[in-house]
Amino acid sequence: MLQAGKAIKVSIYLSDGATHHGVPVYSSILDFLYFRGVAGATVLKGIAGFGADHHMHSSSFVEISDRLPVKIEFIETREKVEAILGKLEEMAGTGLIEMQETTVAKPAQISKPKKPVPPAHLKIEGKAQMMRIFLSEEDRWNGKPLHEALVEALRANDIAGVTVYRGILGYGAHRRIHKDKPLFSAHHGSIMLSVIDTEEKLRSFLPLVDRMVQEGLVVFSGVDIVKYAYRALQADSPGIDGKSSPASERASQPASEASEVQP
Amino acid sequence: MKEEFSARMLRVHFGEGDRWLGKPLHEAILAKCKQLGIEEAIVFRGIEGYGSGSRIRHANRWALSKDAPIQMSIVDTEVQIARLLPHLDAMVEEGLVATSAVEVIRYSRTPAVETGKP
Repeated sequence: MLQAGKAIKVSIYLSDGATHHGVPVYSSILDFLYFRGVAGATVLKGIAGFGADHHMHSSSFVEISDRLPVKIEFIETREKVEAILGKLEEMAGTGLIEMQETTVAKPAQISKPKKPVPPAHLKIEGKAQMMRIFLSEEDRWNGKPLHEALVEALRANDIAGVTVYRGILGYGAHRRIHKDKPLFSAHHGSIMLSVIDTEEKLRSFLPLVDRMVQEGLVVFSGVDIVKYAYRALQADSPGIDGKSSPASERASQPASEASEVQP
Repeated sequence: MKEEFSARMLRVHFGEGDRWLGKPLHEAILAKCKQLGIEEAIVFRGIEGYGSGSRIRHANRWALSKDAPIQMSIVDTEVQIARLLPHLDAMVEEGLVATSAVEVIRYSRTPAVETGKP
């Protein structure tokens, strides 16, 4: 199993038409790598190229399009590469083999990725803030609807949750009455985003709101978070041992409930 | 332009079928808000709910039901909300009005042009 750290990346350049014992060379090399336990390999098809013989191979020349360049890439430890290199050289025939030092930042995993680190907002309980943002459905930010851009921005900042509401009627900062139009017509209604997280996190998100919201109202009120459950908790239920505990099933229901402080 | 101030937020709950002087109640309240110069008012239609009278309200698109639960959110300063409340008392016959203290940031594009000139 390939670990993060130093490794060797091997590239083998071949021609599509080359064969080894009657099958395409790339296919027999891929099988060889597979059976020798190489962590992974990719065959890439070129659209044009030339090799040692200086014949141009291009997909636009119909008559020679079966000799397109093919590249096989794989990454392995130095020991493993050295162990299979002799056989590879033989199989590649006239093709070129290149090796380079590389660094594996994150090895691929065999099955499911390991349990994700719970995001920072998992542990909110008690006092929190609700931020409501009132804006118009027509508002745009970098070409996309502002409310969608805000949801993406909130998500990128690990804010616990947001719900977007479309009003059927309303008016706001620009004093224009928005009325929900009948089906299939362009929408331009009032939108309200309701966001809940701790006061610090919402305040640290505010500079972004400053930049994104040109016209609108942002309303803060204090809330008590009574329950905040997160779907990631189910990662330790069924799957591996085939058992699922009732407790984890219950916990897997996403839920976010907050009661507003009514002063 | 960015202004910050303390304000009050009202949530008014009633049914879509409720009317005031022949008009849907939410339209009537919205018009009143606009007349009083209330900062922000928005009407939401719920998909299901119940409220005063314990009647389950259900928005059924296919049956064109007109009894969906309606929630209005209204935001303005303490003084402005106090001006609106007596009207709500008269207009909302069956419903609920909840209020909470809030902090508000208002973003607007225009005023600099109007007030900037002497």
